[in-house]
Amino acid sequence: MEPVDLDLEESALDLPSEPMTLNMGPSHPAMHGTIRMVLKLDGETVSDLDVQPGYLHRAFEKMCERGTWAQVFPYTDRLNYVSPLLNNVGYAMAVEKLLGVTVPRKGQLFRVILGELSRMSDHLTCNSAMAMELGAFTPFLWLMKAREWIWEACEEQTGARLTHSFFRVGGAAFPPTAKFIPQVRAILPKILEVVAEGEALLLKNRIFLDRTQGVGVLDRDLAVSLGASGPVLRSTGVDYDVRKDKPYLTYDEVDFEVPVGEDGDTYDRFMCRFEEIRQSIRIVEQSIALMEKIPAGSPDDAVSITDPRIVLPPKSEVYSTIEGTINHFKLIMEGVDVPAGEVYQYTEGGNGELGFFLVSRGGGTPWRVRVRGPSFFSLQASKSMIKGGMLADIIPTFGSVNMIGGECDR
Amino acid sequence: MSKLILERLSAQFGDAVLETSTAFGDDVAVVTRAAWRGAAEFIKTDPQCLCDYFVDLSCVDRCDPNVDDLDMDDRFEVYVIAYSLKHKHRVRLKTRVSGASPTLPTLTSVWAGADWMEREAFDMFGVRFVGHPDLRRILMYDEFEGHPLRKDYPANRAQPLVPYREGTFDKLGPFLQDEGMPLNRSVTLDDRVDEH
Amino acid sequence: MPTFKLDERDIPFEKGDTIIMAAWRQGIEIPHYCWHPGLSIAANCRMCLVEIVPGPNQRAMMLDILKWDAAKNDYVVDRKPKLQPACQMQVAEGMVVKSDSSPFVRDARAHVQEFLLANHPVDCPICDQAGECKLQDYWMSESGRSKRMRDEPVHKPKAVPFGDKIVYDAERCIACTRCIRTCDELAGDHMLDLRERGNKAEVVLAPGRALEGDYQLMVEHVCPVGALTSSHFRFKARVWTLKETPSVCTGCATGCTTWVDVDPREQRAYRLRPRDNAAVNKFWMCDDGMMTYAGQHERRVTRAAVGREGGRTRSALDVAITRAAEALKGVKGDHVAVVLSAQHSTEDNFVAVELAKALNGRLYLSAKPAWRDDKILRNADQNPNRSGAVAVASGASVGTLKDLIAAVNASTVNAVIALGGHVDTDPNTLSGLGQLPLVLLASHETDLGAQASVILPAATSYECEGSFVNAKGLPQGFKRALRPQGDAAPGWELLSRLGRAMGLDLTYTRFKDVRAALHARVALAHPDHTPAPALSEAPAAATTTA
Repeated sequence: MEPVDLDLEESALDLPSEPMTLNMGPSHPAMHGTIRMVLKLDGETVSDLDVQPGYLHRAFEKMCERGTWAQVFPYTDRLNYVSPLLNNVGYAMAVEKLLGVTVPRKGQLFRVILGELSRMSDHLTCNSAMAMELGAFTPFLWLMKAREWIWEACEEQTGARLTHSFFRVGGAAFPPTAKFIPQVRAILPKILEVVAEGEALLLKNRIFLDRTQGVGVLDRDLAVSLGASGPVLRSTGVDYDVRKDKPYLTYDEVDFEVPVGEDGDTYDRFMCRFEEIRQSIRIVEQSIALMEKIPAGSPDDAVSITDPRIVLPPKSEVYSTIEGTINHFKLIMEGVDVPAGEVYQYTEGGNGELGFFLVSRGGGTPWRVRVRGPSFFSLQASKSMIKGGMLADIIPTFGSVNMIGGECDR
Repeated sequence: MSKLILERLSAQFGDAVLETSTAFGDDVAVVTRAAWRGAAEFIKTDPQCLCDYFVDLSCVDRCDPNVDDLDMDDRFEVYVIAYSLKHKHRVRLKTRVSGASPTLPTLTSVWAGADWMEREAFDMFGVRFVGHPDLRRILMYDEFEGHPLRKDYPANRAQPLVPYREGTFDKLGPFLQDEGMPLNRSVTLDDRVDEH
Repeated sequence: MPTFKLDERDIPFEKGDTIIMAAWRQGIEIPHYCWHPGLSIAANCRMCLVEIVPGPNQRAMMLDILKWDAAKNDYVVDRKPKLQPACQMQVAEGMVVKSDSSPFVRDARAHVQEFLLANHPVDCPICDQAGECKLQDYWMSESGRSKRMRDEPVHKPKAVPFGDKIVYDAERCIACTRCIRTCDELAGDHMLDLRERGNKAEVVLAPGRALEGDYQLMVEHVCPVGALTSSHFRFKARVWTLKETPSVCTGCATGCTTWVDVDPREQRAYRLRPRDNAAVNKFWMCDDGMMTYAGQHERRVTRAAVGREGGRTRSALDVAITRAAEALKGVKGDHVAVVLSAQHSTEDNFVAVELAKALNGRLYLSAKPAWRDDKILRNADQNPNRSGAVAVASGASVGTLKDLIAAVNASTVNAVIALGGHVDTDPNTLSGLGQLPLVLLASHETDLGAQASVILPAATSYECEGSFVNAKGLPQGFKRALRPQGDAAPGWELLSRLGRAMGLDLTYTRFKDVRAALHARVALAHPDHTPAPALSEAPAAATTTA
């Protein structure tokens, strides 16, 4: 059979000389989440683009102004839903700062451990999905297997796989279960192994390297001025990590490094994430060791504070004593009485600086909850990564930005 | 936390710095509307402040509709948080704009990141940033009525249905009229199939 | 004014004040159950204990106590100051009192709280008081401890009816005797009594008595816990879903100030509570006044209607207004009667008078008939705003409904624009009005409605802002608590729309403008500018010691 194209006149195959507008999204199979990019294409080169978020806007900040302080937790799960525990921690710490309370040492270490597990799950998801979008399906399956182990551990501890709502103002829902720590111990070396396997599959692959190295470059100064954070910023060579620059919880007691890139391209972002997984494993190992050093029965050996004005009583007391009922009732119906004031509390989330700006006018309901979702800032930076590049490079570049719709659109 | 930035700001702008405070480890300065842009540029470029990293810009509606006048003079509090990667300090700079005409000069030329944050503040609160290159809604759609994070916007308000869009609202719009067949091919595959 | 010190703050006081009263006047609440500013002092709950620091030459009154020492695992001998009840202790110049700042006081409050809750049932989820219960509030702010008693709590009668209106739960009762004192001192009738002592104490009906009279609901109002509940509100709503709005009772010319509690989701009023007001009702209201909220939702007019009874059809509001204007067109101005209403706000009546002036019409007044009065709060005049309606007429003669009927029969009135439509005469004499164009602006179905040719739906006093002038001539404002139902609109708005449809110069479109014009043209104090009556005027009852 003759090739069909022989029937065509040569001129019919010419690419158009006029620039073309192309809609990518809001529901495109190769886009992470619902986001729309309007591209102006000159051939296959993206000459200009407009990134339009907002398709997953669920009025997070407005809803927070309607409920009690504690009712915000389930909403925070749905910000960055790949690492919900980090959001829980960030919000809980912001409210605790307004209240002027500190969680006992064990609770802090517990937050670090669960938070870092969440971070690993976030990075594993991002890197595996990005590789898959370039056609590498095996690493995706392998890395997802590792994420599954993390989620199983989280499920053992919190009872939920995705939306945990586990941390509370003043601590956590309950202390580590008997199985949790051994389970985490068991999966850490296995995760390391899987990460190494995933790297082995990708980093000697000519296609993968060609499609990521030197692609989607973000300028260092621009990244700083745009407020990009997390792996997107660090890939450009800036070693800004909230855990190091302003250590919170027990991050100043553990030994870890902040991996940075050089070129700010897709490859560097990818590599930063893999390296951060290794660092997270180090943090978790050290934190578990620190946790085990806490003498049993000491004031440090608790995950929550005990102030009845902040922390709910045990359910057994709620159902059997009037004091417990009153305590529960007041905290649930009226909320924790947070003194008037405003605070900006920031932690290192899965994608960078996760900030909660809270304004309280006293009483049980927040006046304003502002989330500085790192994805929103990374997404803003993605425009300069994509502009001038090729249409096909949008997929790996956008994948490496790791835009999470829930956190970006709120 | 050093109060260096607050001292530098007060020395530079004098009475235009309305109040300074430090709470929960955050340094906060409130400046007048007139000094907003200048103060932002100063904290970015002053060698001792050098807050080159843009952290956040957003807004707080300070009006309680049950008590206050919606047109109150200091209704919206716009804040910007900036961080110095070199000196490792950060500051929250605030100013207040009136409910009657909420306008403020843009900071897009100071930090590139202010672009989307100002669009969001405009979208959610209706604060207009004068000189912003592209001030349009960002999270809500163009036909949305009102500004949802204003305190007088009822959380349960239903929005009208949006009619089918005839024209284009976007900077780079969706398909234009002549773009039905993108690649200029004069023969379609269907024609060739018919020949067999 | 002399002052004393309370927790480092200087508090002014009047001669004869108790510590708690002087603090209350300054807006400082010393935790208490049995004390009520409008009742006599019982000093039985012991919650308001404070520490009085001895003067320079005084010896401190100290008590020897045994204190648990955890380190020694034994009791040790210690001393603590003797605390005094703030509700009974009279203040003296320069006295130094410690309340929240004294660890002994805080400890004492926590212990009192523990005793009060020792036998309390675990029933916040089904208790109407939950959310506004002093036991809950003070446990949270003063105690936060769990109880040590492990015995079975004492069981007592539950859901005991005290008459038709009040239900009593003895297990929740803390025997503060506020209800008993309310019966004694407000109603002047010893209908309730206390039986037994200690943890067996319970409130009972006095021998041979039932709870009756016009002030029964006040015993529920003063109850600081959920022991007394009123049958009309029982299990109907949860208080944290209700929203309160300042309002004025529509029951009679006394004009008791109230809080209207509405559920904003259902747009329905659920109860009234007296709003403290030293000038009028102090802390109290009568039962009929408390129940006026129920009538607000009954027999409402929510849609406009055109035509006489029998052939009446529902109509859009603007159509009805046009029809009304057409019907009134041919009538000579001075043959139009404008009927004011003693049930509507001063603002509504003011616009009605403006309309009458523009037409050169005659003024009449509709009102509800008189009812039973008493020497406590109830006024014989059942109308909240007769004084206001008369005041806005600014001296022009205002006839009664009887005068109107006479004028209609004498053909000096050929058309009627009426507000409210309440009738204080025999409804059978109204039939003459059924021959004329009669435009009625009413919020509820009234007797005049049967005769009307056009009915426009007016908003009730819960559905719009306005003010009433009470029998003593005191103007008091109320705010909007609910959205107007159906097509209803405030009376002033309907009247000015009607006036404009008739080609008159009535430009009011905003409430602000109506009120500004009202106070520019009528010599009447502005409700917001009336000096707020001192909330804390010393009530006469407080001087009689229990």
